[in-house]
Amino acid sequence: MKLKIFYFKEGRLVDKCIGSRIHIVMKNDKEIVGTLLGFDDFVNMVLEDVTEFEITPEGRRITKLDQILLNGNNITMLIPGGEGPEV
Amino acid sequence: MADKEKKKKESIFDLSKYIDKHIRVKFQGGREASGVLKGFDPLLNLVLDGTTEYMRDPDDQYKLTEDTRQLGLVVCRGTSVVLICPQDGMEAIPNPFIQQQDG
Repeated sequence: MKLKIFYFKEGRLVDKCIGSRIHIVMKNDKEIVGTLLGFDDFVNMVLEDVTEFEITPEGRRITKLDQILLNGNNITMLIPGGEGPEV
Repeated sequence: MADKEKKKKESIFDLSKYIDKHIRVKFQGGREASGVLKGFDPLLNLVLDGTTEYMRDPDDQYKLTEDTRQLGLVVCRGTSVVLICPQDGMEAIPNPFIQQQDG
């Protein structure tokens, strides 16, 4: 059974998104900015060149390179082309 | 049985009447956002345009104006959405549950 997610506009949005920067907002105070390599039906995401932001302690930054697999369980918002919170 | 199969895929609520309208969305974890609804799917993933996000801080209580930011075009995960309502369909009121203690 094929899970068709984001069929309305995201169908084109995701094509443009893969390979470009995306800003991901989690349910808690964490945000991730990276280059989108791909995602699956559950919107687990593979990103590279990733910067991780904690919003509460005045915008602390943790930069990670290579690739990460981000668990889609806690993702709240996806912002294509976003550069992250202003620090 | 075939009827039951079909009903499983139907949503109990039609969001198409909110398309191109300004709506407010609340998420698990306390985040709130508002924007113009551009798209949605049966899993309640949403596409919002011109999105403003409001964040709730512990000392902030429920003052929304302090921490707002513009996010532009945003995809909201349906798994995280807890409430959707029209933007002008709600207003803040003083707490109706607090009773004045008369000595």
